[in-house]
Amino acid sequence: MKKNLSILMIVIMGLLVLAGCSDTAGSSKDGKVEISYGFWDKKQVPAIEEAIKKFNEKHPNIKVKTELIPYGQYFQKLETAATGGALPDVLWMNGAHVVQYAEGKVIEPLSEHAKKDNYSLENYPKSLIDLYTVDGKVYGIPKDYDTTGLWYNKKIFDDAGVPYPDENWDWAKLKETAEKLTNKEKGIWGFAAVMGNQGGYYDFIWQNKGYIVSEDGKSVGFDKPEAVEALKYNISFIEEGLSPTQAQMAETAAGDLFSSGKIAMMFDGPWMVPEYKKNKDLDVTVVPKGEQRAVSIHGLSNVISAHSKQKEAAWEFVKFLGSKEVAEIYAKTGTVIPAYNGTQEAWLKSVPTLNLQAFIDGAEYAYPLPSAKNTGAIWQHETDILKKAWSGEESVEEAVKELSKKAEEELK
Amino acid sequence: MKPLPLQVETKSPFKVNSLIKTKKFSDYLWGYVMIAPTMFGLAIFYLWPILQTIYFSFTEWGSFGTFQWIGLENYKLMFNDSDLFQSIKNTTIYIIFTVPIGIFISIIIAVLLNQNIKGKSIYRTLYFLPVITMPAAIAMVWKWLYNGDYGLLNYVLSLIGIKGPNWVTNPDIALFSVMVVAIWSGIGYNMVIFLSGLQGIPSTYYEAARIDGAGPIRMFFKITLPLLSPVIFFVSIMSMIGAFQVFDLIFMMISKSSTALENTQSIVYLFYQHAFILNNKGYAAAIAVLLLIVILIITAIQMILQKKWVHYE
Amino acid sequence: MEKSVQSMKRKSLLIHFILILGSIAMIIPFIWMILTSLKTYAESVQVPPVIMPSDFQWSNYKEVFVLLPFFEFMFNTFIVTVLRTAGQLFLCSLAAYAFARIHFPGRNVFFIITLSVLMVPGQVFLLPQYMIMVKLGWLNTLQAIIVPGLFSAFGTFLLRQFFMGLPKELEEAARLDGCNHFQIFWKIMLPLAKPGLIALGIFTTLWSWNELMWPMIVNSSPEAMTLSVGLSSLQGQYATNYPILMAGSFLAVLPMLVIFFILQKQFIEGIAISGGK
Repeated sequence: MKKNLSILMIVIMGLLVLAGCSDTAGSSKDGKVEISYGFWDKKQVPAIEEAIKKFNEKHPNIKVKTELIPYGQYFQKLETAATGGALPDVLWMNGAHVVQYAEGKVIEPLSEHAKKDNYSLENYPKSLIDLYTVDGKVYGIPKDYDTTGLWYNKKIFDDAGVPYPDENWDWAKLKETAEKLTNKEKGIWGFAAVMGNQGGYYDFIWQNKGYIVSEDGKSVGFDKPEAVEALKYNISFIEEGLSPTQAQMAETAAGDLFSSGKIAMMFDGPWMVPEYKKNKDLDVTVVPKGEQRAVSIHGLSNVISAHSKQKEAAWEFVKFLGSKEVAEIYAKTGTVIPAYNGTQEAWLKSVPTLNLQAFIDGAEYAYPLPSAKNTGAIWQHETDILKKAWSGEESVEEAVKELSKKAEEELK
Repeated sequence: MKPLPLQVETKSPFKVNSLIKTKKFSDYLWGYVMIAPTMFGLAIFYLWPILQTIYFSFTEWGSFGTFQWIGLENYKLMFNDSDLFQSIKNTTIYIIFTVPIGIFISIIIAVLLNQNIKGKSIYRTLYFLPVITMPAAIAMVWKWLYNGDYGLLNYVLSLIGIKGPNWVTNPDIALFSVMVVAIWSGIGYNMVIFLSGLQGIPSTYYEAARIDGAGPIRMFFKITLPLLSPVIFFVSIMSMIGAFQVFDLIFMMISKSSTALENTQSIVYLFYQHAFILNNKGYAAAIAVLLLIVILIITAIQMILQKKWVHYE
Repeated sequence: MEKSVQSMKRKSLLIHFILILGSIAMIIPFIWMILTSLKTYAESVQVPPVIMPSDFQWSNYKEVFVLLPFFEFMFNTFIVTVLRTAGQLFLCSLAAYAFARIHFPGRNVFFIITLSVLMVPGQVFLLPQYMIMVKLGWLNTLQAIIVPGLFSAFGTFLLRQFFMGLPKELEEAARLDGCNHFQIFWKIMLPLAKPGLIALGIFTTLWSWNELMWPMIVNSSPEAMTLSVGLSSLQGQYATNYPILMAGSFLAVLPMLVIFFILQKQFIEGIAISGGK
């Protein structure tokens, strides 16, 4: 045993020395440039690999190294890496973090690069460009987007003899149908009033012509009458027993209840397509009208690290990722709706059994998710405070008052 | 046989030893030399970060490593933070219940599994399973067991005509539900330490006791407990520290959108919120420092009290 | 005599009864993990939950190998685990012996400092340790994962308690024979602390095997990725394919199960407290 231990120690020392040799160099060996690309979704790896292959046909001298960082740890890793000046050269960014990263000067403004190359930003929905514009500068090239649709279970409708939802629906109709479909004996709820912002109360507030963050970015609209009314409408489904309670949805995800046939209708995004398409009873349509038809839109974009030593190569890659060619690769694989205008057709065809057009229509009347320096903190306050209204512990008025105060502190 | 990596270290004490022929001084040197590698590593990778944290607790963090000195502001904020008080209360309740109960059950199991009974290897492995099972699987199962509508627990209760509560979303019960899981998952872990501790008890003691006519219960209290006390001391300190730092379990079991969160969130949960969600790293650092001080004091008290009950050779 | 045999039998039955009851509580999640790994996705999220899969989906296991370079990851994890465990056992036992057996000025202070490492949440260390790795130029290397894990306050404390409990006579005899402290440590004390070393070995192995955050933070190259990081990438942003995740977890946990089964056999009963021989 002693001998073994000493041998082990020698091996350790040896390996430590050896391991030191595994280099991670960013730049040239034989004139090649290497850039790294950080992202989180494993499902998109095949599309990304194909895109890189196509990219290398045009730029054989730029090698792209992929870094898959799981979503659960993505932003914590990015923050650590950014503090150490070691972000991947090109990386995925979401709307919640872009302001923080832009103001922290760890990601590169792209407007200059785009102007120099005459790169048009008009090929993407304007709401997405707005989402990635901070202080007048564009920081990210949109990659994909999500809107909201009204998902429904055809079987529950058929059993109750109720016609499926369509584009003529409004809030009153949604409520009325939820009443008809709710069946306590069978354990079926008509609608799931999920407490979530995107695809949830944000959408309802916009449908009621309210707003989340004011134009000047200094105040919030949660306590305005339109928003209060929207929240009350939302919560009324729970109060009237048409939706599972807040506690029930905290214990069992609404999405699981829905795909198990316990919920007739709910708002959800296209990200659930891979899961929901497995249940043949499910389909989707546009959301009902309130004062107006409106949904949230959010999309990811590709950004460049401000510390990158290969900004030119990185920009070439980001441009390529934003091209029609890559959008079509994405569309074909059916994982996400590509942001490039006019390439969504192939995505629709990826799951012909579902009325996916509802999500693309959504982009026309969509509001971008608000983004502030501390978006994450505002979301946290929303969850902490609104859950009291959702569970009936507090009135909506009390909750929004507290929420507005806390959210506005974060906006300062 | 002399091990290779230490040859360098063994030389110098000999030299010094020949110069100064006091045994004591050589003792000192040996002590320092032997703790040196670990102290050096701990200093660089762990103590330095702690010192930084103490420093950051007096600052306000912007993003990505920018900060400014704000003196005692973070500490002053603590006094008005009702969430912090609540989390201290939650953590205290959690410690009071999980630590003693957990240790008690683990000792019993370890003693039972240290006997010559059939299938003890299998039993030991089974009791260790929760420690090696993936946390996601553990969370899934317990959430299902506890589920108010579809859970096994409430189903069983319904058979005897009781309508079970919402175990993880009822604010009055949720913390206790979490504590049950905590005790459950800690048994295997403590069992291993106790089992290893039981190996060190010479069997001659038991033989002598048996000749004197002592029964198993008496032997447990007169021999096992006193001789196991150094290890019990270790487990109680580690369990205490572990309980002070409870985070994962609450994070996994209690939904953020549940109103039970306020009544279950621990000090470290709050630390995590401020450090990584609310971007208040300065305040988070202050919470970490508070935690360090509290644990330090309680550990020091345990260290002093150990003289009364821990028997070293 | 007969009576005592009978009562012994009854007692051992009672013990088995208690142990089996406990075992059931312990094994449920593990069984659940295996059952889930054989379900279809729809079954895994079905409400109310289905316990038995209608049809065993062995293809989930095949899928794990399609999605992850499983054996490569396992090899990386193996190297990290072996080096960390061996290094930690050696360094910790060295320091633990000094803390337990040698009187030197400042011993208690150093010991309290060592313990203080355990008293702050682990998340505190991530950023400063990362900055150190940046300075050392160790990002994306295996030693970045291994080296901080060689030093353990937990291990030092655990082994100190073991050394504290060992009889003094042996040590004194050895000193009279002219052994120095390292020789006493290596030849006499270390073998006696074997149960402690095994316990620490079990924990270090397990922790290195499962560690998620640190390897992910310092390492971004897929070639040097560890198993836990790979498994974590199977968890999605919105929905997770639990059957595949559980299949992967089961495969990842198996080696730990085997190692534990082998190591725990080293805990040979000191003595039977009741019954037995």
